[in-house]
Amino acid sequence: MYYLIMCRSLTYGQRVANGLERAGIPARILRSPAEISPSGCSYSVKVAARNLSRALTVLNRLRLPYLGVYVNSPDYGYQEVTL
Amino acid sequence: MIYFDSAATTLQKPPMVARAMARATATMASPGRGDYGPAARASRILLACREMAGRLFQVEEPERVIVTTSATHGLNIAIRSLVQPDSTVLLSGWEHNAVTRPLAAIPGVRIRAVRAPLFAPDRFLEELEQSLRGGVDVVVCTHVSNVFGYILPVAEVAKLCCQRQVPLIVDAAQSAGVLPLRLEDWGAEYVAMPGHKGLYGPQGTGLLLCRRAAGEPLLYGGTGSASRLQEMPPFLPDRLEAGTHNIPGVAGLLEGMRFVGSKKPGVIFRHECALREQAAAGLKRLPGVEVFSTRGDCQSGVLSFRLPRLDVGQVAEFLGSRGIAVRSGLHCAPLAHGTGGTATSGTVRLSFSAFNTHQEVERFLQIMGRLV
Repeated sequence: MYYLIMCRSLTYGQRVANGLERAGIPARILRSPAEISPSGCSYSVKVAARNLSRALTVLNRLRLPYLGVYVNSPDYGYQEVTL
Repeated sequence: MIYFDSAATTLQKPPMVARAMARATATMASPGRGDYGPAARASRILLACREMAGRLFQVEEPERVIVTTSATHGLNIAIRSLVQPDSTVLLSGWEHNAVTRPLAAIPGVRIRAVRAPLFAPDRFLEELEQSLRGGVDVVVCTHVSNVFGYILPVAEVAKLCCQRQVPLIVDAAQSAGVLPLRLEDWGAEYVAMPGHKGLYGPQGTGLLLCRRAAGEPLLYGGTGSASRLQEMPPFLPDRLEAGTHNIPGVAGLLEGMRFVGSKKPGVIFRHECALREQAAAGLKRLPGVEVFSTRGDCQSGVLSFRLPRLDVGQVAEFLGSRGIAVRSGLHCAPLAHGTGGTATSGTVRLSFSAFNTHQEVERFLQIMGRLV
């Protein structure tokens, strides 16, 4: 299981991924899956489930906004996480 | 060749600029258009360029650094974003056609120019303050005149504009890379600059620094984001950057900015000023040469002069035939020449870069001595 932190643009996605990497959290930027990107092409940063809480703390500290957090599970696909 | 036309384009670049461009051409694709290696490399270089500009020019968020094709491109975006038809725009009297022509294209715009003598920043500020009382919607001010190297007191202009809540656009075409540019401190709405002059990047590159998130696009098209929307995305930088980026240019510009950052803009500025002072002193010793220079600290490494009985084009041609590249005429700035009193004759302009030397100026002065 992993989480996607959805960002509104490539530049934001890069900043989020770089900020997490600098904090020691492995993060990878990728294009958001179509089912969670209703307006078409957007970017998400993929983090492991065990790192999500720390990742969100880092992003709040860096004041980097994101559009939402989605969890991927084999049974239900992507679902938005209420934080 | 001795190249003294860096106010148009710096010809000599740090070697890394060309190398980075070649590498980008061979190994990078379109940023934001794929998850594969060459696209990711292009995305990384683009972000690195924005972040480097953010550090040099005090822009906290890299998405507010817009990649353009030139300062002219950036100024067009800024003017289109802020100037509505029938509004009143106040300019310095030293503006370039990159400002005056886009304004002239907007219906009903009333253009007023602050007229104050050359190299008199205090008088300029007095006149500006007076003019602002008359109801102004937008102010556009160049940081340094491309004709005379006159450094305008932009920080003070920004303060006056902030006090009166009038948005300010700064044309930093001649100052980026040599003078401190501080977007957040100034509170200017937009600062536009080229990549190919004092930032030592390639032609076809530029940057627009934005204080706010909004802005009116000049181009519409693909951004690699929000693709179902049929208007441009509302967020920066995507809103103002349609189409595939000039990634080789961006890679070269990044290396140019790294060069400027490592040399320090203040060091480059002092070097260019020393060359300008040497040239001005030498020209003043020649009979009949009118030199536009000041002993004060409000002139950059740009110097204009003219001779009473010789056309400025003939002077430039003579120098060119002897291997010295200068620019003559009106320098695409008839307003500045009008304010400076040189609209009829134009001037010959020398403009220096970090790569020029005192020996080159000495050689130029010897050749000028022969001409005079």
